[in-house]
Amino acid sequence: MTGSTPASGPGGSIYDLGYQSYDGPRLGRPSAVRALFAQTVRACFGIGRGGRAKIAPFGLAALAILPAILAVGFSALAAQAGSAGGAIEDASPIRYESYHGFVGILIMLFCAAQAPELFGRDQRYNVLPLYFSRALTRTDYAISKVGGLVVALLVVELSPYLILFAGRVFVAPDPAIGLADEIAALPRFLLQGALVAGLLGGLASLIAAWTPRRAYATATIIAVFIIPPIIVGLIGNLASQDLARAIILFSPADVLDGTNAATFGSIPDSPVVASVDLPDWAYFAAAAVGMVGSVGLTIRRYLRIAT
Amino acid sequence: MSLISTRDLTQRYPRGVTALDGLTLELEPGIIGLVGANGAGKTTLIKILLGLLEPTSGEASVMDLDVRAQGTTIRQFVGYMPEYDCLPPDSSATDFVTHMARMSGLPSTAARERAAEVLRHVGLYEERYRAIGGYSTGMKQRVKLAQALVHDPRLLLLDEPTNGLDPAGRDEMLALVRRTGTEFGIAVVVASHLLGEIERVCDYLVAIDAGRLIRAAPLGAFTERTGVLAIEVEEGEVALTAALIARGLHAVADGRTVLVAVEDDRPYDIVRDAIVDLGLPLVRLEQRRQSLEDLFRDDVATAPVGGGGDG
Repeated sequence: MTGSTPASGPGGSIYDLGYQSYDGPRLGRPSAVRALFAQTVRACFGIGRGGRAKIAPFGLAALAILPAILAVGFSALAAQAGSAGGAIEDASPIRYESYHGFVGILIMLFCAAQAPELFGRDQRYNVLPLYFSRALTRTDYAISKVGGLVVALLVVELSPYLILFAGRVFVAPDPAIGLADEIAALPRFLLQGALVAGLLGGLASLIAAWTPRRAYATATIIAVFIIPPIIVGLIGNLASQDLARAIILFSPADVLDGTNAATFGSIPDSPVVASVDLPDWAYFAAAAVGMVGSVGLTIRRYLRIAT
Repeated sequence: MSLISTRDLTQRYPRGVTALDGLTLELEPGIIGLVGANGAGKTTLIKILLGLLEPTSGEASVMDLDVRAQGTTIRQFVGYMPEYDCLPPDSSATDFVTHMARMSGLPSTAARERAAEVLRHVGLYEERYRAIGGYSTGMKQRVKLAQALVHDPRLLLLDEPTNGLDPAGRDEMLALVRRTGTEFGIAVVVASHLLGEIERVCDYLVAIDAGRLIRAAPLGAFTERTGVLAIEVEEGEVALTAALIARGLHAVADGRTVLVAVEDDRPYDIVRDAIVDLGLPLVRLEQRRQSLEDLFRDDVATAPVGGGGDG
């Protein structure tokens, strides 16, 4: 703080160079957007924060992967068993088409744990004016944040599918044949993974962006995924199937159950989804509308927010 | 180059509040003080210049760039220190300022180096690795200044930079602002309702009130005509006022205080002699300049005195 006055001592002199001007590169808006996106992905996993911030994301990611690892071990044992292995393999409950029912809940919890911090922090502590007076725009900010969350969700969502996939390929007696058998599942779980990450990430972003208070945002995110399927189920069972059919597409969890069943050609987890008998495209359309709508409304929130 | 230029700039908020009312300004680079009472429109003006607010009507440009059309370009070269708290408590100063440098488009290595340099410049050393939540108000103000400086802006917009600081903290912050402006050639706009602070730092003053420009001139032009001498007496203020007016001064009684316009050294002797002649018990004799109203009005006798700049 004292200009360039040297502080002399027996060991030599220390020069405080103070403020210096910066002549290096200014990479502008694209660089700022990339940096915010990367920082958001890292923040989703608590990287760059203390140990406590890592517990929830890494715990949930580990839980998501665990069944896949077990399934691969199971397959390896089945392969050892020779001809009887086929029967053991077929009895395994952990399969591509059944994984959604498990990992979907973890993704929802991941959203509930991380999205409120991601979107609420800058609002609670009034940091937004500092962002919006810099190289990026309000839309850039919103897209970087939503994009970062969705990418983090994709990592958690797709890791177990990829472990399952790789495990099954290499457990097969001939990996080339194994690959040929499994390759058909790849685009399917990539599609379902993208839908889950996009829809849940989009909705969680929208809720968290509108609810700066962390606890409320967490509760709302959980409620939005848990309560609608219950309501739809009650209506389907007690009132009318027609009414259930009319409202089921407003239930994100049921929509993703529908897309999962349609993608893998399997039976939906929810009996109501099975019984309302909507065409497959309706679930995909609902997921797409939900994704685009929630991201659009999140951007709108940041365009309107007073700073 | 024109640093800041506005034409008929008007900002109306919902519910009928007019924050800026046809403000026209033309400012050259330098250290500029923006004075006005709370609610005069200082913060609104700064936010419009940054593109944080869209003006209702009128035009504004910064460094000859239009705030509406070229806001993103402007913001790369402008640093902003808001009036209120804007720091996440769970982040360290180093991490936060580095992140803000990246948000201004600096590459990551440069961002880290600049953050370290700028934090040292504002006087934060080892404590910069600790979480901001544990900082004192003075340290937080320094972090706020550091994040505004980290990308080496051409223009620094500081909104009440001494907010919440104790006198020593104020002195340090003002010295820092002055040094940043003079030694490094960064244009600075300091908004404040405290004239006493502004006049220690700035070369040029812009006074606004109720969203209108009152006066924009070099600091010298303001101080020449702003002196008001307050004379507090226990009794005889009416007689004193009359005596001073009789001796050719502008004087007005305000309770037990008599206010006299001071344009040169002449009134001091006259006041002294008048008090001695009348044999009045003198309580206090002080130069009053902290009141914005003292500054803005042309004639002491025509305006109320005392409330300072509230309203």
